[in-house]
Amino acid sequence: MILVNLTKYDNSVAIKKNSTLNFAVYNEMKKRCIHIFITLLTTQTVFSQKDTTFNNLNEVVVTATRTERKLGNSAVPVSVISEKTIKQAASLRLNDVLNEQAGLFLTTSFGTGVQMQGLNPDYTLILLNGEPFIGRTAGVLDLNRITVGNVQKIEIVKGPSSSLYGSEAMAGVINIITKQPISNNYSASLRYGTYNTFDASVSGAIKINKLLVQGFIDRYSTDGFTTRPNSVERTVAPLSRLTNQLQICYPFSNKTKLSIGARYSYENITNIIAVTNTGSVNYSEGKEIHSDLNISPILTHQFSKKVSSSLRLYHSRFKSTQDLNTTGTVAYNDLFIQQFYRAENQTDWTLNNKISLNIGGGYLSENVRSSRYDNENNDKKSSVAYGFIQGEYKAKDKLTFIGGFRYDKNEIYASAFSPKLAIHFQPIKKLSLNASIGRGFKAPDFRQLYLNFTNTAAGGYSVFGVLEAQAQINHLAQIGQIASYENDYYNLAALKPEFSTGINVGGKLSLSSQSFVSFNIFRNDIENLIDSRLVANYKSGAQIFSYLNVKNAYTEGIELNLGCKFYNNFTLTSGYQLLLTADKQQVSDIKSGLVYTKDATGIARKMDISEYYGLPNRSRHMANIKLLYEKNNYFYNLRAIYRSKWAVTDKDGNGVYNTNDEFAAGFVQLNFSAGKQFNNGLSMQAGCDNIFNYADANNLPNMIGRNFYITINYQFTKTKK
Amino acid sequence: MKKSVTKFMMGVLFVMVAVTSCKKDDATTTVDTTNNGTFKVYTQGSITTVQNLPADTIVGTNPVTGQPVGAGKFKFFSLETGQLIENTDSATTKWDVAFRGTTILTNAGTSGPGAGGAFVQVGLFADVLSVSSDSAFRTDAAPTYAIRTGSNKGWYVYDGANNLITPIPGRVLMIRTASGKYAKLEITNYYKGGVTPASTASDAVKLSEQRYYNFRYTYQASGSMTF
Repeated sequence: MILVNLTKYDNSVAIKKNSTLNFAVYNEMKKRCIHIFITLLTTQTVFSQKDTTFNNLNEVVVTATRTERKLGNSAVPVSVISEKTIKQAASLRLNDVLNEQAGLFLTTSFGTGVQMQGLNPDYTLILLNGEPFIGRTAGVLDLNRITVGNVQKIEIVKGPSSSLYGSEAMAGVINIITKQPISNNYSASLRYGTYNTFDASVSGAIKINKLLVQGFIDRYSTDGFTTRPNSVERTVAPLSRLTNQLQICYPFSNKTKLSIGARYSYENITNIIAVTNTGSVNYSEGKEIHSDLNISPILTHQFSKKVSSSLRLYHSRFKSTQDLNTTGTVAYNDLFIQQFYRAENQTDWTLNNKISLNIGGGYLSENVRSSRYDNENNDKKSSVAYGFIQGEYKAKDKLTFIGGFRYDKNEIYASAFSPKLAIHFQPIKKLSLNASIGRGFKAPDFRQLYLNFTNTAAGGYSVFGVLEAQAQINHLAQIGQIASYENDYYNLAALKPEFSTGINVGGKLSLSSQSFVSFNIFRNDIENLIDSRLVANYKSGAQIFSYLNVKNAYTEGIELNLGCKFYNNFTLTSGYQLLLTADKQQVSDIKSGLVYTKDATGIARKMDISEYYGLPNRSRHMANIKLLYEKNNYFYNLRAIYRSKWAVTDKDGNGVYNTNDEFAAGFVQLNFSAGKQFNNGLSMQAGCDNIFNYADANNLPNMIGRNFYITINYQFTKTKK
Repeated sequence: MKKSVTKFMMGVLFVMVAVTSCKKDDATTTVDTTNNGTFKVYTQGSITTVQNLPADTIVGTNPVTGQPVGAGKFKFFSLETGQLIENTDSATTKWDVAFRGTTILTNAGTSGPGAGGAFVQVGLFADVLSVSSDSAFRTDAAPTYAIRTGSNKGWYVYDGANNLITPIPGRVLMIRTASGKYAKLEITNYYKGGVTPASTASDAVKLSEQRYYNFRYTYQASGSMTF
């Protein structure tokens, strides 16, 4: 990880803020509290529970509209990954879960990120119970940081959702909803697998009068993995991760409730790097520590049958240190601290049978300090005030309109207006159709504004954030270090947010309770994409980069999903996504005959638009097939995940990705697991991931080779006193 | 009869001429164009192809910085004769272009006493039929050269992630020679054998195979600005 950061620290590196606000899930919380007091369940292991998500249109989702809605009534594409799915696949971290979803492409720079509808990881907002995770590196929130050990479900909303969530919700939103606390319920789980990978977790909930407290602790550790057995370096570094989570719920009355969620995670990664220089080997020891704190108190009050309101406060702090020590050289130390504060209110008002409104507003403040900015003791600050409104109009039983917008006002970059309109139409019970159009945005992040980084280890190039660039370059010019300016130097200007306009049209046909087919056609037009550009040159020949709003791109495609149950015990689900992407400027250049490629002998020829492959690092085809067999108290499942080739290197030097370029090979990953539950609360599960032992050291460094595991889980419930 | 014999003879002659001229054509097309990794120059029609011109190939590493280095010498070449020129003749007008790493010199300005110059034209080698104007030429003024160095500035791009140099397709180097004549030149590859190593190749391979210019050019001996 550190190695990557140092050597590939090109223009995109470093760290960005996560500046979104949102809210959601307060109803979920409310529901939990209620739930807890009226139910007492005898526990069952998750994987033998009845599947509640298979073609269940009554499943309640909260992320799409920030209110509780039945999945079947959602006007935007929402998918739900159930706890059962997660457990049966024996997923440990968020990336394990998302890897098996159609249309989500996991990226491998700066940790594991998720690409949704062809948009980079920067543009997907990731929430924990409705509150954003912060601490991204070069735009990527490392999904490995997030354990799914106590997750009840994960909701994925595709398409721009900034009308409710603000910045970053350009491609969509992934909301991780942790388990409902169930009083006097305890569980412990232990897993051991190849590469000395341990995962142990305990959880328990107690009820003291009205107060309900639930705790969860998870510890994960691994010796790491390497695709190069003779090297001391690990492609996946040895690490340990500890996550503590506490959820407190207190109902003052039937109408007023307080819940507090707190989470602290700590991650320790070590990496030994060997550098061979004229025959002698130098070892460097890299150490990376991330800590992550989230606290979210939520107070909800039901004013009347028609009006309810919630006040949400949220604080998150992310700290990352990277130290690289090499014998005989100066140590490299890197510090990054991001703090996020937010207060928000949302009021839900049901006017009558046909119309309901959600009105909200809030204020957020963020500060970041980093050794990659001018001075690691200086806080860089950003604050945003925002308001949003969403209305739902039930025109007829079968036809619903949802419309809304959000306005984000920021001091540093231009304000953003994000409207959205969606329609849900259910002509017959078995068929539901929906269409939505919305605008998403992503605010320029701290890195793009404040970065002040010179890579002395790699030729002395510099990257300056836009707010620093002018002053830094002027200073360098004064001390006589600037050799020349590029055209883009004169284009440096205040950064505007990146915008996208997304259209989603889809539908779901339920052939029976045993089978369904669904589709979604999408198109995202992205404007003002921020990219790094060469702005000036040092006299030493090294280059100076900064950021500009330069690119326009689009992504489009279709997603298909189907599921069916057969022979009583079998469940087959399958998903597919076709994805086409392009940089609009490149398309226009190619059509104007300005782009060339070359034949095998290196002789140039004009490139045809049919050779154009679009944006790099995107698979045109992605698919999965999952087969599950369940009977009584055991199950077997087999999951195959396919990704077609993706462009990785512009081999012919023409600056665009075309069929002549270098591609990472497409591949199939096959995973298997089986489990059995015993009557005394004990269950066991074993499996093998990546059965084919597929590896691609260069393009899939985070992919672990064939690995086996075994899990023991014990659950029990104390009877109510 | 005689007439027909003459006709026949004429016919034979014609065929023979045709065959010989064909042979001549064959002779040019049967030039061994395979690239075996050694320095080679051959001409087909108006196009001269140069393979594996070693341009200060890597000889070791700098003991202080650890960076790979060559001997630091340019390799001089005459477009007119299609031959390498000795370094001792670097201050003469015998050479037209010189190569060292990614730097290319033309014989004028700070580089030499000639009437040379160059500029980079966007387009295909075959489509560039004339020199737009003499004023388009720039001359070398070290450290800035008529053909600019740097990724994406002149004739190549540098892929920093994989440490590879690739000539940009559709860049024709318009050269004014030391004697003030014109040539167009297309660089096809920067690596030995005219094949760029795979991005996954070891650094050792990438270093030992680089700095071998493969290019083709058309030289207009008459001094005409059209090709």
